[in-house]
Amino acid sequence: MHIRYLSLTNFRNYARLELALPERPLLLYGANAQGKTSLLEAIYLLATGSSPLTSLDRQLIRWNAEAEGLPYARVWAEVAHRARRYEIEIALERKALSNGTVRMHKTIRIDRVRKRRTDLAGRLNAVLFMPQDVEIVSGSPAVRRHYLDAALCQVDAAYCTALERYTEALRQRNAVLRHLRDEGGDPAQLAPFEEILARQGVIVAHGRRELVAALSHYAGHIHRQLTGELEWLRLEYRPNFDPAAPPWLKYQMELGLHYSGPPPGVTDEELVEAFRQTLVRRRKEEIARGTTLTGPHRDEMRFIAGSPALGIHEVDLGMYGSRGQQRTAVLALKLAELA
Amino acid sequence: MSTAPAAVTRLIEAFAQLPGIGHKTAARLTFFLLRNRLDLAVHLAEALRELKERTRFCSICYNITEEDPCPICSDPGRDHSLICVVEEPLDMLAIEQVGTYKGVYHVLHGVLAPSEGIFVENLRISELLTRVRSGGVREVILATNPTGEGDWTASYLVHQLRPLGVRVTRLGRGLPMGGDLEYADVVTLTRALEGREEM
Ligand SMILES: [Zn+2]
Repeated sequence: MHIRYLSLTNFRNYARLELALPERPLLLYGANAQGKTSLLEAIYLLATGSSPLTSLDRQLIRWNAEAEGLPYARVWAEVAHRARRYEIEIALERKALSNGTVRMHKTIRIDRVRKRRTDLAGRLNAVLFMPQDVEIVSGSPAVRRHYLDAALCQVDAAYCTALERYTEALRQRNAVLRHLRDEGGDPAQLAPFEEILARQGVIVAHGRRELVAALSHYAGHIHRQLTGELEWLRLEYRPNFDPAAPPWLKYQMELGLHYSGPPPGVTDEELVEAFRQTLVRRRKEEIARGTTLTGPHRDEMRFIAGSPALGIHEVDLGMYGSRGQQRTAVLALKLAELA
Repeated sequence: MSTAPAAVTRLIEAFAQLPGIGHKTAARLTFFLLRNRLDLAVHLAEALRELKERTRFCSICYNITEEDPCPICSDPGRDHSLICVVEEPLDMLAIEQVGTYKGVYHVLHGVLAPSEGIFVENLRISELLTRVRSGGVREVILATNPTGEGDWTASYLVHQLRPLGVRVTRLGRGLPMGGDLEYADVVTLTRALEGREEM
């Protein structure tokens, strides 16, 4: 999969860029503020539908484009994947509404047909490594969840749909919780959202668990190479909702064996039901807090490393790793995405 | 518009509060009435007054009616053991237009939409449950729109209705997702009614 041609209009500091790209590794170099990052940002935008640097789409439009009467940015690429060729286009338009506010319109097209964001999955796979990515190790759990979701949404449209439904149901359930806390009412109206949260939440947790396991495998391998076999790295998925672990598991954990997954033999249907029941059981506490406390929106992933040569058995890099160690871990993670 | 007479500005502002009507359209409608034969404006004014003075909610189904109970609820030819639950009176009119449905209705006047501040307490749901509890109901058809909100509302109603021992069904999946009953054609609605599924 590679980009054959890239076209930018009014994107960041580019008024216009037309660029044919070769099918081989490419090195971009130049002084600061020449637009190297913007170029990468544009590619990432085409791959995922959103910028890795900002959640405000209006910042992507060239700053004086509006002064020139064209509050509009466009990113277009021709992508070759095996024998197939297709075009991806993302247009951003800033529209002033009659009430004085401004609204951003994002239009995604594949082969000139209007598409939804989830349709971008698998069209153009991009891995971006930036200095601030060290946050994935050292930042808050939300950064790691966002990282996992972005990686999964790129390749798995079903995951993306499940995540969207989960997020929407969470927003609605939290609104009901606050309503029940402040004004009272029928707690049974939480049920429709609990059913969605349980069903979609199990899909989300499943996707994240598999991705973390795969990333851990590849990143561990790459990390050993990067450190000249001196250090090892492992990623641990810590789901917020974990069905009751069987007794043999406790025994294994005492032995220091790592495990993060539902007990074998448990069906998805049973997991959904267990998750739903947990939500129902915690209602009282959650009404008091006005927010949902159980579920993948509180998942965590940790980077665990050790260097036997230095006598360090096992440390959590997010808490105890040096900046250098954290950076190496992220690089290994990013390279693992390519595998 | 500040130079226009107050009566003109007032009407424009009133029109602009209607759904789907912006300030421009509101102004166009106002000037149309101004320029036109006087009796159109008078006729409209009378119709508007009557709308408020002569209509009310049916005390059984909460449909909008001039007499209480409404003609459908007081029609002995209809099957009163079959209740079709709709979001808005317009959805009811759409089903009536099909002409094959012989049961009665219950209008919720909205859907469950917590993030917009609409909860089950704001809908005519307890009235529906009381109606079913008082007996004589065999089946409740949930005909909320095939949208997120419509599905949440239906899901809540299923949990409330099932323990009451009635059959609960949902309009068939022939309806386009995210669509509105109000805009569905007769063929689609007929098929949706016939293909209703047990919930
Ligand atoms: Zn009635």
